Formats: sequence, C-alpha cells, structure tokens
Amino acid sequence: MLRMQQISKSFGSVHANRSIDLDVVSGRIVGLLGENGSGKTTLMNILFGIVTPDAGVIAFKGRLLAGHAPREAIAAGIGMIHQHFMLVPAMTVTENVMLGWGSTGRWLRTSAVAQQIRTASATYGLGLDPSARVELLPLGAQQRVEIVKAVLRGAELLVLDEPTSSLSPPEVAGLLDILRRFRQEGRSVIFISHKLGEVLEICDEVVVLRDGQVMGRVETSSVDRHQLARLMVGRDVSTPIDRSPRSAGSERLVVANLTARDAIGVERLPGLSFSVRAGEVLALVGVEGNGQAELARVIVGIERPTSGAVFVDGTDITAGGVAARRAAGLAHVPADRATTGLVADMTIAENLALRAFDEPPVRRGPWLDADAMAELARERIADFEIRAPEPATIVRTLSGGNQQKIVLARELGRRPSVLVAEQPTRGLDPGATRFVIDQVIALRAAGGAVLYITTELEEALLVADRVGVMYRGRLVGLMRREHVDLGRLGQMMAGALAEASDAAASYGVPTS
Amino acid sequence: MRPILAVALALALTALLIVAAGKNPLLAYAALGRGALGSWDRIGVALNKATPYVLTGVGVTLCFRARVINIGGEGQIALGGLAATWIALTFPQAPPIVLPLLALAAGALTGAAWAALAAAIRLHRGVHEVLVTLLLNFVGVLIVSEALQGTLGEPGAGFPQSPLLPRASWLPRVLPGSDLHGGILIAVVAVVLAHVLLWRMPFGFRLRVLGASAPAAVYAGISPSRTFFGVMSLAGALAGLAGAVEVLGVHYRLIDGFSHGFGFNAVAIALLGALNPITVLPAGLFFGFLETGALAMQRAVGVPSPLVAVIQGLTMIFILSAMGLSARRSRV
Repeated sequence: MLRMQQISKSFGSVHANRSIDLDVVSGRIVGLLGENGSGKTTLMNILFGIVTPDAGVIAFKGRLLAGHAPREAIAAGIGMIHQHFMLVPAMTVTENVMLGWGSTGRWLRTSAVAQQIRTASATYGLGLDPSARVELLPLGAQQRVEIVKAVLRGAELLVLDEPTSSLSPPEVAGLLDILRRFRQEGRSVIFISHKLGEVLEICDEVVVLRDGQVMGRVETSSVDRHQLARLMVGRDVSTPIDRSPRSAGSERLVVANLTARDAIGVERLPGLSFSVRAGEVLALVGVEGNGQAELARVIVGIERPTSGAVFVDGTDITAGGVAARRAAGLAHVPADRATTGLVADMTIAENLALRAFDEPPVRRGPWLDADAMAELARERIADFEIRAPEPATIVRTLSGGNQQKIVLARELGRRPSVLVAEQPTRGLDPGATRFVIDQVIALRAAGGAVLYITTELEEALLVADRVGVMYRGRLVGLMRREHVDLGRLGQMMAGALAEASDAAASYGVPTS
Repeated sequence: MRPILAVALALALTALLIVAAGKNPLLAYAALGRGALGSWDRIGVALNKATPYVLTGVGVTLCFRARVINIGGEGQIALGGLAATWIALTFPQAPPIVLPLLALAAGALTGAAWAALAAAIRLHRGVHEVLVTLLLNFVGVLIVSEALQGTLGEPGAGFPQSPLLPRASWLPRVLPGSDLHGGILIAVVAVVLAHVLLWRMPFGFRLRVLGASAPAAVYAGISPSRTFFGVMSLAGALAGLAGAVEVLGVHYRLIDGFSHGFGFNAVAIALLGALNPITVLPAGLFFGFLETGALAMQRAVGVPSPLVAVIQGLTMIFILSAMGLSARRSRV
C-alpha cells in the first residue's frame, strides 16, 4: 500500500533521516520504534507532506507522492493523528470533524455529518457523542475524535504518533481494539512508539529506527522484548536491576495536607498528605493531568501551595523558594526536559551549573568562574558517562538520553536527600531508561528518598517500594509493591475506584 | 558576517535607487564617505552621533537577551537629558569636574527610574512592555516639552529650549581640532562592562537563561520578575546617560525633540549588532557615520539625505529576514 524509499532529510548538520525504506502492506499494523530524536516523527511528517525530504520516493497505492501538501495526503487516503491533537477545544465533535473537510460542501449539513459520526462510532466502538464539546471530553475520547475525522475522510492508512502517551491503561486497551478492527477491514496502521510492550502487542511487524537509520525490520511473532530493546539501543540492556531489599529509615520528605490552585483558580490538589522515607522510592502513577505536575511544582517551590506544608528532613521548607529548597537537599528532575530541565541553546557546562551558578565554586565573588564551571562539567561528564565532545557543546545537539544524563548529573551529583523525578524516562530508549532507573536505585541505596512520578505502571513497579495512584489531584490508592494488583491499579488510574462525583465537582466538569 | 552582508546588500539596493534618480551611486557613496570620514572634524561629528546610539543600543541588547522588548529608549533619553539639564542649571557653581559627573549620574538615574516605572506597570498590571515603553515615550517627550515651556525654558528664545548650560558642566573635548567629546569613551566603557556583565557575571547568566527559556529560569531559582526589573532599569540608566551625554556634550542645552528617533535607532542597532554588546559598537558607528555623511552626499551629488534612512531600513530588513530564515532552518 505504502512504499517509502531512500528517504533522507537533514536539518543543518543533523541527519534526521538517512535513506530510510519503509513498506506498509494492506491490513497490517507496522510499528515504528525508536527513542525521541531517532527520526520517527520526521519520517511521518515527510509522508504527510509537512516536511519536504532531501531525497527519496514515496508511493501510496501505486501513485507517487512528491512535494505534496497535507491536504493532498489526506485526499490520497492517509490519516495522521498527532501526539498533540489538532482539535478546536471550544467546538463540538461534529464541528471538529467538518473543519477543513471539503466534502461537507457549500452548506454546513451538521445533522448529516453527525449521522456519519454516529455510524462510524458504532462500527469501530468509539462511543462518541457528535454534539459533545471537545474540551469537555477526556483525552482518550479526544483521540477518538481524531480517529473519526481520519475515518470519515477515507483514510486507508492511519498514522498514530505516540498515541498512548496520555491514556490510562483501559483507554490504551480500547485504542488497540479500534486499531484491530481497522486491520480486519484491510486498512493499515503505522504505530509510532517507544514503548516495547504495546508495539509487541498490537503490531504485525516492527521497524526500528536509531539516529535516523533503520536498524532492523522484524515480524513481531518472531521477536521478544530483549531483542527489540537491543535493536533500539545497539547493546544488551536486559540485565536485572540490582535492587536489594532494605528497611526504610526515617521520613525525609513529608507532604502535609497540601492544597494548590492553578493559574485560573481551579483547585488542582484538594489536600494531599504522604511521606517518603530514607532509602525508599515512592512512585506516583496516573494519567497525565491528574495533579502530578502541580504536586511536583508545589513540592519543589516553583509554585506556592494555598495551604499545607512540605518538610525535608524535618525542616519546614514551605516558606522558601526554589533555591532555598534546593539548599535544603531537594533535587528535581522536571518532566519537560527540553524547556524546563535544560536550556537547549546553552552549553553543557552552563546547564550543569544552571541551578548552582549563584554559589561557590561557580560563583567567585561577583564573577562567574568559567574554569570552575568547565571543571565541574568535565567531572560530571565522566561520572555520568555523558557522551559529548566537550563542556562547551550546545545541549540541543545531544541525544535525548544524553540530555537527561545532564539533568541527572546536575541533580544527583550533589547527593540530595530528596529527589522529585517527574517522568524521568519519557521519550528515552531502553538503554537510557535503564541508566535513569539505575541512578534512582543508587540514590535509594545511598539513603535518599525518591518521589517518582510516572505514567507507566511497569516502570513504577520496577523502581518503587510503594506505589500510589493519582486521580484528579487525590491519592486514591497507596500500597506496598508486594501487594500491587495491576488490574486494580489500572482501574484506579482510570478513576473507576475514585469517589468520582465530588472530585469531578471540584473541577467543574460533568461526570460521565 | 551576516550583518556585513546585510549592509552590503542594502548599499547595493540603494545604489539602484540612486541610479533610478539619475545620479551616479559611486560618486554619491564617495561623497558620503568623505562627509563622514574626510577629516578629523567629520570623524568627531560622526562619533558624537554614534555615542547615544551605542549607549542606548547596549541597554536594548541586554533587554533583548532576556527576551524583554524595551522600545522605550526615546522617553528614557529625553528624561535623562532633562535631569542633566536641571542639575547643570541648578548648581552652576559646582566644581567643573563634579558638575558633569553629577549631571550624568542624574541622567542615568532618571532614565532608570522611567524604565523601572514601565517595568513595574508590566509586572503589577500585566500590560505588555512593548505597549508600556512605547506609550511612556510620548509621556517622557511631552514632559520635556512642558518643562521647556515653563521653568526650564529660555525666555525669549522663540523656540522651546533651555538657556545655555554653564561651561563647567560641558563634557570635555577629547580630540583636538574636532567637536568630539568624552561621551564616546563612556560608550566604549559601557560596551565593555555590558560584555563582562553578560558573559562573566551571575546577573548576565540570569538574563541569558531567562531569555532562552522562562520555565528553565524558574526551575533554576531565577526570579523572572526581579531579573526583568533589573535589566529594564539598567537599560533605562544607559539610555538616560545617553540623553545626558547628548545635552552636555553636543547641544550644551536642552532642546525640544532632541531625542527624536534615537530610541528606535537603538533597537535597530541592537539587532544589527547581533545582540552582542561588543558588536553594538561598530553597529552604532555605522549608523553615526551614515547620518553624518548624508548631508555631504546631498550637497555634493544632489542625492537627498533621507536616502540614508533607506539604507538603514533596508539593512534592518535584510538582517531580520536572515534571522527568520535561520530560525526556520534550525527548527528540527
């Protein structure tokens, strides 16, 4: 159905794609696997006509596509569902489907389109109400709006870019069911992901990308996780984690009755209390947007709580700002590596000094000591195995894994007592993921307390001594790792076990 | 490299305009060069012209580095000049070294205060700094006019200007046989200090982090509002200093509208200097030389002097297009 040959594209000195071949046969789901920055998204943007390739040929259903615009790709039968949905939040499902759709004709025939949506929704089990406003739908349903848009426009090849990153486990299962129905009809799917489990579950074959090149092309029936991981990383990463049992020590991080509101005054945390002990990892799982980000920001001092307190090693640090809390022993790995954790356009040395530029040895009197900065950088580059030519290298040019190593080196290099890690492995390949987890475990062994915020259940179980579930700003479950029941956790993440009514009321959205 | 290319393209395109007007562009540019560089006297005039541009441009550069868009140079210059004038007229008996220093300091402080007012409105009332600084320009310039209509005006002058300042307040000449005053030295010192501040001091680091990524700045424990306030005040001080230098070194009196266009030229110069304090110096000199040579070109060849504004404008368009182009290329 689709044949992409010798696709190459570079941005400046970065080779995003190097003569990539990709074939998709009708009625198959092809996985495109690789870490962030391996060229997956660029390849798909080329297919969809958003980016023009430097070289290469694209043929879809026997017709050449060259220099095409997204509109022509859609007309040819390619549907693309981006990681960040292209929907107008204030409009209804029907209006979003009609938006930019030529075949709605000169007049808006809302009821006819709504009927089409209902039919498609029934066929694929999408459960969509055409008259619902998109902004009030959960993310999983918004994604199904994108799917129905693509289906009604006659998509025979559906491209999904990281489709599961903001879904709860039941929503993921629902999405995979929809894709299977697609396959039965003889349509094809390109499924972009860096998550091995999902790829193995849904795909018929997998194409692995690394550094813009195809590293391998395998049938999923003939491959296992370890082999896939090795293809992605280029070496073996499946040695077990050395995670010695240890008795937890004293409470190092205590969060007492914390409440917080967001910028427009909506309550995001209705009163959270928990503690993390020395030598303990507490993982908070949950679908994105359930208060985890707010919790982390309030703990590390980026935002002020409306009430409640945060203690580190028994000291109340609620009154202090970011710098004071850092001085108290609090380290923070933010979720957004590219714009928060790092300054992409500054050097490695500057990024390693990002949170220490105002104290010795980097600050000497009124001056910034460039030599001390470079010295610190060389030390950290060696200690954390950051693969970079020199301290003066611009961070943007490094791979995602090496960028995250810089964040970890900065935060863990000074032996903090408490680490707040938000999605520290997001977008990383299995090798870099493993590095992050090893570092967290090492801090645990050294007696640090770790609050590990993640959307991945498996990862939580890998690192955590205790697992808690966040749903609408509340901690709806908190259990020791030995007692974890995966199915129950998944349901908790989806809110099935939360007191949905009053939590929803505090958000001002209808419960459905 | 890129600014030089932009200048070359602008000169080439303007040459076409001169040809279209039926004149010889080579002769015109030669006259321009002679007018700007032909004698020590001309060079002195050009450097004097460049001085306020460089001072204000350095401040704007620091602001832009922090992604703060300060286009309030004109108002800050105007009030800096006003403050210097007031000091010079109020304390004519002060010793000759002290008086200009006092007047310069007053100019800088007043410029800083005016910019700080804009910063405060931005921080506490949420009005964007582009709007606030732009509108405060009108207010600042009108305050100067008002002062010249009233107590500070020269009685019977027929034009809104202050009386001649006492000789003790004048900036010393530094190049024999020319009008070149000490202001250019102040500008060079400001350039060097700004460079050191930006690359070698914690405040400069704060500016650069804030400009590169506001969330990263907050994460690093940098206060965006304090940094914003600081850099605005600093830029205001430099602009106020420029106003004082202009009054004490060139006119020896406050003249209505003396700051006209300076603030916007400073923005152009900051961009032409590629937002680096050091390169703001040649950028400011380029503008100063162009404007000084303009009249000579008009006299010698009959090409109207406002044509240099065309050169300045085209240079900016080429620079900005090149910046836009490279931003698009580097997007992955």
